[in-house]
Amino acid sequence: MSASHTPEETKIALHEVVAEMYDKIVKGEPPTMTLPVRTKSNIGFDEKLGVYKYGKKRSVRDATSLGSAKQLLRALHVVEFIEGMIDAGKSSTLREMYYISEGWGLGKFSSQNESNNLAEDLEVVTKCLREDFKLRPEEDGARMIGNLTLRERNRRGEWMRINARDDVGDSGYGVPYNVEEEKIELLEHDISFIMAIETGGMFDRLIENGFDEAFNCGLVHLKGQPARSTRRILKRMSEEWDLPVVVFLDGDPWSFRIFASIAYGAIKTAHISEYLATPSASYLGITAGDIEAYDLPSDDLSPRDIDALKAELSDPRFADGWWQEQINMMLELGKKAEQQSLAKYGLDFVTDTYLPEKLAELGLA
Amino acid sequence: MAGTAERMAKNQKQVAISEFFEKNKHFLGFDSLTRSLITAVKEAVDNSLDACEEARILPEIKVKITKIDDKKNIIELQTEDNGPGIPKRSIEKVFGQLLFGSRFHAIRQSRGQQGIGITGVVMYSQLTTGRKTHVRSKIATETSAATVDIGLDTRKNKATKTNEGRELWENADGTLKEHGLEITCRMKAKYQRGRQSVYQYLRMTSIVNPHAEITFVDPDGEVHHWARVTERLPRKVESIKPHPHGIHLGTLQRMCTESTDTRMTSFLYKNFSGVSSRAAKELLAAAEIEEKAKPKSMKPDHIRALLEAFQGERQLNGKVVKLLNPPTNCLSPIEELLIKKGLSKTIDSRFVTTMTRVPTVSQGNPYQVEVGLIFGDGMAADKPVEVLRFANRVPLMYQQGGCLLTKAIESVDWRQYGLDQAGGRGVPKGPAAILVHLASTNVQFTSEAKEALADNAEVMDEVRKAMLEMGRGLRKHLEKKKKMVKVQEKFELVNDIIPAIAAKSAAILNRPVPDLAGSITRIMGAVIAESATVWNKETKQTDVSITLFNYTSRARAYTLLASWPEREGAVMEGNQTGGRKEATGVWAWKLDTLEPGHTYTITYSLSGLEKGDWTETDVFYRGSQEVIGASKMDEKLLEEIRRQESRGEEGEDDEEPSEKGAEEEETDPAAPPSQEDETPKSGGQQTLMGYGSDA
Repeated sequence: MSASHTPEETKIALHEVVAEMYDKIVKGEPPTMTLPVRTKSNIGFDEKLGVYKYGKKRSVRDATSLGSAKQLLRALHVVEFIEGMIDAGKSSTLREMYYISEGWGLGKFSSQNESNNLAEDLEVVTKCLREDFKLRPEEDGARMIGNLTLRERNRRGEWMRINARDDVGDSGYGVPYNVEEEKIELLEHDISFIMAIETGGMFDRLIENGFDEAFNCGLVHLKGQPARSTRRILKRMSEEWDLPVVVFLDGDPWSFRIFASIAYGAIKTAHISEYLATPSASYLGITAGDIEAYDLPSDDLSPRDIDALKAELSDPRFADGWWQEQINMMLELGKKAEQQSLAKYGLDFVTDTYLPEKLAELGLA
Repeated sequence: MAGTAERMAKNQKQVAISEFFEKNKHFLGFDSLTRSLITAVKEAVDNSLDACEEARILPEIKVKITKIDDKKNIIELQTEDNGPGIPKRSIEKVFGQLLFGSRFHAIRQSRGQQGIGITGVVMYSQLTTGRKTHVRSKIATETSAATVDIGLDTRKNKATKTNEGRELWENADGTLKEHGLEITCRMKAKYQRGRQSVYQYLRMTSIVNPHAEITFVDPDGEVHHWARVTERLPRKVESIKPHPHGIHLGTLQRMCTESTDTRMTSFLYKNFSGVSSRAAKELLAAAEIEEKAKPKSMKPDHIRALLEAFQGERQLNGKVVKLLNPPTNCLSPIEELLIKKGLSKTIDSRFVTTMTRVPTVSQGNPYQVEVGLIFGDGMAADKPVEVLRFANRVPLMYQQGGCLLTKAIESVDWRQYGLDQAGGRGVPKGPAAILVHLASTNVQFTSEAKEALADNAEVMDEVRKAMLEMGRGLRKHLEKKKKMVKVQEKFELVNDIIPAIAAKSAAILNRPVPDLAGSITRIMGAVIAESATVWNKETKQTDVSITLFNYTSRARAYTLLASWPEREGAVMEGNQTGGRKEATGVWAWKLDTLEPGHTYTITYSLSGLEKGDWTETDVFYRGSQEVIGASKMDEKLLEEIRRQESRGEEGEDDEEPSEKGAEEEETDPAAPPSQEDETPKSGGQQTLMGYGSDA
């Protein structure tokens, strides 16, 4: 299964975007770009795919204000730039594109955020992936450790076989930005589940305590909000190897969103949720209940936290009873806690007590 | 024994005068080391400005402060002017007499009402350093300058002169100085920077004296210069006689005693303003005094009765005796344009609005309020606005909070005019400075320190009215600025971005570049006016161009109107489009029908102005479709201006108001007459078509 398009398909899709603008001018109307509304109000559950996708709401960006007209012009420059890279067989990072736009005159970006968003806009409209556009993100993917073996094609085009326990150092296997089949093949494993972990400190703690071997699992470091490639490889391992995925995060409103982006699809990338989301993933902790049950050191929710929780209450991805209960419980408690607050009871508490108890609840230990 | 007593008496007097100074130094302005220096500068500079004004000389004033002994706080102050100078024999009188200014009884607006004059400086210097004040004075009719050291004999309240001499006074360039006065004195004092400093005093002085050239050399040797921005001297002020409403019992008593008039009727008629011979008779009747009674023979009871008649407490046949208002030509306002120039030269900013109210009378005293507001990027946006207070052109630097002028500013809700103000009370915050000037023959202060104006409901009301009108000007400016930003954006959109989109999309698709007219009309959907008012260095004229763009899909017809400084004496030249005068300062052009996608440009130049006099032209329109960048002509306001004109120019040729709008084909009779709901309601002051401009 691949989301990729051929260079020709990509160009045709991009030209459709350009033609929409051109045809409007020919008709004597302001040029426009039509794209799905990318907010939580326009995502819905896709029964067939089991993930959240954009709904039917479309917004038209028309050139009647200076701001959106500039966006259209920038989109044209980006299209031209992508075509040039496709033809020349090159790729660039989003950041490089941002700097290249310095030479685009009126169409230059004023911030990198703008260029990132526009790349996403084009993905959404053309249904292509940014890999098709030859655009790479700046951040690298996650780290993995565990008894699992894969094959990665290196820069010289040769396949390398890597076992993520025996062939790697303490920092684990680094997930590249492209994890599609042409780059990575999943070969074999001897684990019974995958645990995705929010913070580097906790990832390292579990490795030091030998948790992956003791519990026969693969560990994946998410690095906060996970990159696309991290979510994609979680999805592939879960589907191709039929492994359960559990997610171990801080206990705060932002962790809930990280989980939603892994399990249900992120709002910003809902156009490709079926490639990125792992619907079978389960939330392990830290829950509001854990904060009380384990009497964890905690901080008061900030006004921003409270607003985030309230927004989640109306987010369709958190509509089910369990999440509503979790969110309300945290609001009631008014507290949040970090993963590493478990160290209150010593360095081994997390691996000896907390995780075994939580995994048992999920039937995994 | 007699000798001892006399000596003691003399000693006593000597003690008394220095004690008097010591005890009253707070209201003489010498209560702290910093303030003493400001007061000394103030006395000298005020004298120079007054003398120049009197002699009709454009003042050039230099102030130099040198630190002599930093530890002991000894400072030398030197001031120099180009005034008429003082004849040698009068020097001691001017510098050596305490509290004997001739202005004390004259009723007119003058700076020197405050403080005890330059004598205080001489005395303070002598008391703190023991040094005499060196004076150099040159009058036009003599070749050489007189020099003398002035001290004070505190026993006799008289100047002492030493080292009298004569010398040639050369200017820096070697030429001989024609006339002028230089004062050099040493005193215990401290130089400070900040809101209450010599620098600030001189800066404020230069704002309200735009005709003066002021140079200040500070103790670090840094030279500050405030240039002259107008050659026009302030109007010569006339003395007026006291008005019955403003007189006190003691003064009336003294006037009677000193009078040589033979009859009370002529006494009243001759010595008071606002009293006609009929009113004199009526006043006497009300006070039950015989008309032919001698003023000298008035008994205290009579005088009290007369005062009661003055104040309307005693009436004639149940009616208060009607008196005329005193004349107001005794006031010398700075005037709007000059305040604008003064503010613009010391504060670099984008927007200045000023307003001079018509003179009016409170309790027999003529007074006039002037205000100015400068707003823009040069100033801190998060700090309270700078309040610049003046009384009779003299900066008020202390007791800001207790001053009537500050209270008036604080009583305005500035939030509605675009400034920050917590709770709509207090001094507003924002990148602005507010100037308030009260000109009056009798400025009432809260205390002898003469730094804050005392409460007076009428004056307060005048200042408030002026503030409100200025605030409206500010709001309009801000709204206009916002609108102009939007218009500029639209222009960038259709002139740059849309063509770029067309070209780029055509290139990517490898198709011909499409025609843009349709898209542009759809995007703009409006008629837009753009105006530029630019100073032309070559021709020394202000060039104005007004362009009207029809970005709609239908043909449009308009009459455009523009404000121009006709009142300020400007002449309109090179106006090819013709048009006609609508009212003073308002020109109108009836334009041909403008087809979709077409533009029309009006250009003309204004001569007779200086750079910076006219920097923004207000454009108005008559027609049904809104014009972005112009305001719909407020016919009511125009009517009001015409009405004022015909009142003001009695007998002169009036413009034909009946012609107005007669053949406007697009005039929509159903349209509401005016969007300007806040048409100024203040009586008789609707001069502000131009409500301020970008500087």
